[in-house]
Amino acid sequence: MHQALLTLGFGLVGAAILSLSALAFTLEYSVTNVANLSHGEILTVGAYCAYLVQQHGGGVILSGLAASAGGGALALAVHNGVIDRFVRKGIGGLPTFIATLGVSLVIQNILVIIFGASNLGYSVPPGAPRTIGPFLWTDTEIQIMVSAVAITALLYVIIQHTRFGKSLRAVSQNRSLASVSGINAHRVAALTWLLAGVIGGYAGFILAESIGTFSPYSGFTFFLITLTAAVAGGLGKALGTLVGGVIVGIGLEFFGGYLSASYNLAFAFAILSVVILVRPRGLFVGGRRSIFE
Amino acid sequence: MIDYIVSILTEGAIFAIMALGLNIIWGWSGDFDLAFYGYVALGAYMTLVLTVGPATSPTEYILGLSLPFPVAVIIAMLSTMTLALIVGSIALRHLRGIYFSIVTLGAVYVLYIFAGQFVPLFNGFNGVSGLFDPMGDVLGLGFTAYPYFYLALCLVVLAVVVLVVTRLSGSRFGLALRSLREDERAAAAFGRDIYVMKLKAYVIGAALGGLGGGLFVGYLSAFNTSAWSPVETITLYAAILVGGRGSTRGVLLGIVVMYMGLQEATRYLPEVAGHASFAPAFRLILTGIVLVLFIRFRPQGILPERRLRDKDISGTGGTASVAVESPITGPALDPGAA
Repeated sequence: MHQALLTLGFGLVGAAILSLSALAFTLEYSVTNVANLSHGEILTVGAYCAYLVQQHGGGVILSGLAASAGGGALALAVHNGVIDRFVRKGIGGLPTFIATLGVSLVIQNILVIIFGASNLGYSVPPGAPRTIGPFLWTDTEIQIMVSAVAITALLYVIIQHTRFGKSLRAVSQNRSLASVSGINAHRVAALTWLLAGVIGGYAGFILAESIGTFSPYSGFTFFLITLTAAVAGGLGKALGTLVGGVIVGIGLEFFGGYLSASYNLAFAFAILSVVILVRPRGLFVGGRRSIFE
Repeated sequence: MIDYIVSILTEGAIFAIMALGLNIIWGWSGDFDLAFYGYVALGAYMTLVLTVGPATSPTEYILGLSLPFPVAVIIAMLSTMTLALIVGSIALRHLRGIYFSIVTLGAVYVLYIFAGQFVPLFNGFNGVSGLFDPMGDVLGLGFTAYPYFYLALCLVVLAVVVLVVTRLSGSRFGLALRSLREDERAAAAFGRDIYVMKLKAYVIGAALGGLGGGLFVGYLSAFNTSAWSPVETITLYAAILVGGRGSTRGVLLGIVVMYMGLQEATRYLPEVAGHASFAPAFRLILTGIVLVLFIRFRPQGILPERRLRDKDISGTGGTASVAVESPITGPALDPGAA
């Protein structure tokens, strides 16, 4: 029982990172209807930005901010440089999806050229493990979870209670209707991608913090798990994605802890395939179609 | 110099066979299959374990037979077809568009992880090796003459594949596949069994992938997880897209441009100190950029698929259903709707 609770504790850390990444992915999907295969690279770039700041003596907060800024800048660039042009030309979801795979290839290999293909170490002093209730967490892990919850709460407030959030919801429900109602859909989509990039970059930073190493390919590998969480929760639905992230994150930790960590990704894809085949619209299909369904 | 030309032509012929297989799945049938390189890899692994003889400790792999190379390649093709039948029958039944792609991406990653982690299968990360100059000793070829023989072999196989694919392309089956690509519902209304046709195309395409994999490993002599990665499919897609999706001539041109041309263009790049991976990374960046630009500005490719004219004079004339307006926008049905 004790072992199970410890595993649950580690699973919550993984779930926090996964949920943020999946939320960012779902935001991108909700406003442009594009499954962004270069989403993982937002995380990777975030990790590299944090690494650079840390190398120059920056602290945890500065590194986190740098990661968010880097991720946000990349997401905005991908949206304005590629996605928005495709959407304006009326190119459909699948071809744009293919194009994002090309974008992913470009970013990965630019990072390979700049930083090399091998793993870089990202070490922060984790602090002594603390016992909180039945769980055992380091300071870094606590920082990861607290910040993830805070960001999610902030995101909820932005989407549900601000003017921008209202237009975001409108664009995600019906882009053309939102446009004729006087909402600048391109601008809303760009801002949403920026927001997603900020969250995704931060997710890349906490991912690097929690694993300790990263490479130009880390983000893409993690993206595959992100995809599982996002599809399980229902593409484009924030609340479902959040729950999907928590379930998949904890599930993976238990799978890795009790069966085999090497097959984690295979396990994630098994879940993904079953979900897509059995409940293609996600596990939690509700009546009201909103991104906070 | 002549060695270089022989090697680049051999690789080009092998990649052309793979691309022609993928073109059946994506170009004709319209399914963006991300599992394709898994079939190439399975073909390569199977060819190895069927030819190199029993495993000696500490290596471990299944089978370990010493069959002649052509027999091994044929059995390898059959095993990729079996895998494709399983993956395709699950993924093609209800899924289209990105959902199909995501499931096939999952399938290839599962294969990749098992190939790398489950040692008794294909010796894990270290992979299988030892297939030197297949058929060379039987034919009594020295190592100087061998590359020419292997090039000739690959070109002959490619010629046969081109012939078969061209026949298939103009057949009722080939035309019907394109009709599903353009409008699945309309094709279904004309009595086509969409699922069975797409599955057939998928398995035939995967067989060519397995064939390409078998020939590739005869050329490489070894195969392991660092020799392939699931996203490698994307370079094949780039070649098809650049050449002309759906068109056999186009795909061949695409291979010439994207493999041989790109290889040649980046050959003289300076070696950057401490960056062994500079040239390959640069090639992949170019591949990605070309892919994005072609989807945006010329989705039909350099040599587009020909529009078929309706030859039936009693009809109203005009163009047949194979007309290509925007070739890469296949029908994106909701999953579950089909």
